[in-house]
Amino acid sequence: MNRNGLLGEIRKNRALLLMLAPAVLFFLVFAYVPMAGIVLAFKQYNHTGGVFGSPWNGLDNFRFFFESGNAWLVTRNTALYNIAFIIVNNVLQITVAILLFEVAGKWFRKIAQSVMFLPYFISWVVVGAIAYNLFNYDVGTINSILTTFGMEPIDIYNTPSYWPVILVIVSAWKTLGYGTVMYLAAITSIDTEMYEAAEIDGANIFQRIFKVTIPNLYPTIIILVLLAIGNIFRGDFGMFYNMVGNNGLLFSNTDVIDTFVFRSLTTSNEIGLSAAVGFYQSILGFATIMLANYAVRRYDKDRALF
Amino acid sequence: MQTKKRSAILLLTIIMMLSIVLTACGGNNNTAGTNNQAANNGAANGAANAGASDTSEEATIKMLLVGGKPADYDQVFGELNKLVKEKINATVEAEFLDWADWSQKYPLKFAANEDFDIVYTANWAFYNDQSLKGGFLELTEDLLSKYAPQTWANMPKVAWDQAKVGGKLFMVPNNNVEITDKVVLIREDLRKKYNLEPVTSPETYAAYVKAIAANEKGINAFQAKAADGWKWHELDQIMLEQQNEWNLVDYNFPLAYKMDDATGKVFNVYDTPEFKQLLAYYKDLADNNGWSRNVVSNKNDVWQDIKAGKAASYAQNIGTVAANIMEATRENVGIELAIADLTPDKKKISAISTQNGLAIHATSKNVERSLMLIDLLQNDKQIHDLSMYGIAGTHYEAVGEDKYNAGPSAANYSPSGFSAWGWNSALNRQDAAYPKVADDMFNTWTSKVYHFPLETFVFDDSKVKNEVANIGNVMLRYAIPLEYGLIKDLDKGQADLIAQLKSAGIDKVQTELQAQIDAFLAAQK
Repeated sequence: MNRNGLLGEIRKNRALLLMLAPAVLFFLVFAYVPMAGIVLAFKQYNHTGGVFGSPWNGLDNFRFFFESGNAWLVTRNTALYNIAFIIVNNVLQITVAILLFEVAGKWFRKIAQSVMFLPYFISWVVVGAIAYNLFNYDVGTINSILTTFGMEPIDIYNTPSYWPVILVIVSAWKTLGYGTVMYLAAITSIDTEMYEAAEIDGANIFQRIFKVTIPNLYPTIIILVLLAIGNIFRGDFGMFYNMVGNNGLLFSNTDVIDTFVFRSLTTSNEIGLSAAVGFYQSILGFATIMLANYAVRRYDKDRALF
Repeated sequence: MQTKKRSAILLLTIIMMLSIVLTACGGNNNTAGTNNQAANNGAANGAANAGASDTSEEATIKMLLVGGKPADYDQVFGELNKLVKEKINATVEAEFLDWADWSQKYPLKFAANEDFDIVYTANWAFYNDQSLKGGFLELTEDLLSKYAPQTWANMPKVAWDQAKVGGKLFMVPNNNVEITDKVVLIREDLRKKYNLEPVTSPETYAAYVKAIAANEKGINAFQAKAADGWKWHELDQIMLEQQNEWNLVDYNFPLAYKMDDATGKVFNVYDTPEFKQLLAYYKDLADNNGWSRNVVSNKNDVWQDIKAGKAASYAQNIGTVAANIMEATRENVGIELAIADLTPDKKKISAISTQNGLAIHATSKNVERSLMLIDLLQNDKQIHDLSMYGIAGTHYEAVGEDKYNAGPSAANYSPSGFSAWGWNSALNRQDAAYPKVADDMFNTWTSKVYHFPLETFVFDDSKVKNEVANIGNVMLRYAIPLEYGLIKDLDKGQADLIAQLKSAGIDKVQTELQAQIDAFLAAQK
């Protein structure tokens, strides 16, 4: 079957392999080579030894995180926030993509798309400053409006229960445009003959959406969600840090692994300790993505990632 | 079937390629690490063994400083290099780590083993940390007396001793008297407007804060700097440390000793009646709107807020506050400011020499020349003036031997902008416009400076770093909201805080700290 062996294979597919090369090289340099740095999680780092020459210290670096009494809280927060983000963001993005697709006006579609995309380019630092000016107790916009209408001002920065909602809204606002573009691209690539056939059969607009558009979006949805699940134990540091900062009162509801580690370790600069937590996140992420992929395989073999 | 097999083969190829590259890389790095270490030791030995200083070959010395790069850097360092070239046949290149992110970049410079020779360091700028991690070259008496003879002669012995970490010296400290006590900057015009007593104690300060909070809408009577991970109420250094004459060993955990306690017994400051009293004091201010309810989320620069008339007081060290007053006078901002010392009769602590200093990078190739440069920076009048204050006539005008006036383009090379303090010495000049009150206050302080055996003690936290990291977290999460009066029930808040500290391992840190202090005191006898 394979008369020419490996070399033959390579020669036969050289054009394809060449095209693959940049991507392979990218991951090699930026994902695989740095992986060697994982050894730091098991070492007592010093400058004379460097990454590979420093002495080993077993599982000592992991003690900090698991003995802090916060490991479970921050892991849970990270996972729950990411699950909420995945569900809310994807549902919103799909809805908006379908709406935009069904709205005929080309100009309106273009403008709406650009306007929704804009927040994606705003840095989290700026978003944090905007939020501070909105939520501030004394002079914030929200409280100014509330007091003009004779209502009691609300103390957002000292009330943890508001924050899950705020963070989910901000995340949705920021990623809406980006995700919508991806889904819109998937929808426009759906064969228009299907829509014509549905119309001839007398399908109304809702039937068109639920029987044609959404089923055709499944592969895209599954891939995007699977990719997102792989990062479920990585908190979006830029977002949480700039929105919440060092406000201790809110930590019970807003602390994720990344902010917790940053806060604990910026003063001590123990590279080993942070590497250990990063390793822990990677293991959890690896396990979840394997499980999710396995579940998808069980459901439909062709749609799994691998 | 066939496609499957083909992709399997492809996958295998990729994995094999990967593993080869990976192992190769690992191997390389490893040898690089060992070589480095060898080179390192070689350099140190070589330098120590060399005979007379040999400056026949031209050298370029790279210097790493913290702070913003002055606008006229090229001009000033151009002049500086002419002098340095003539004296030790070398040129200086400085790199500046901006205030915004220096604390992240600084350790990375060492971790990446970048090429630099001299580096600014201080007890608040990673000195202990990098010394213990091997980032600095050990400075022996030999090296110093040979290559930095003037510094070696001029520096008091106690300054060298204070800079030792585990018995070894890694820094050429600055040669300057500084007092670390904090003061409060207040709005003198507002104080007069409400006919308040002069602010000289916590009680008079409370009256000032409450009067402003009640009468001046839109002004925060007290403002804290934008949260940057500082684990205390900004008034704690005054109200807790200075007022009670305690000394906190390290601001990363709440353990202190009494300054006059010869046995150096450490205790948890949160678990004291003084702290309980202070909480009530703070709560009273908070309930009277003494500071914003969002004080812990503040993102503004306090001094800018005060200048803009949005805040009416903040706590800082006397030098910074004096500089604020000079700036306000210069820019004519239309507010009258005053310095308030809330603990005028208490013992003062003088800054230990490691408050500022310069170290040599462990892998520097120009150890001798770097030391010579440090010697010149500290002790050569011409070079000291130039590097500190810029070009005479342009950036400053000399007034007598020890004072100066700001020159026409002083803003482009200012002594307060970056860490030129690393080579502070007896040659320093004082701004002729420096407020006399600040000067007088400082002079009365010097008579109250209290020296105690533990002032040079440095805690080595390597055995308890996990606990220290967790304690810091507890302080941010439980202590700060409690101190700013954001928690209603003080007793419960304090009990929670103490309980959380216990589970974070404060007892272990305390035991370790006490053991080190006992050993330190025993060694001094």
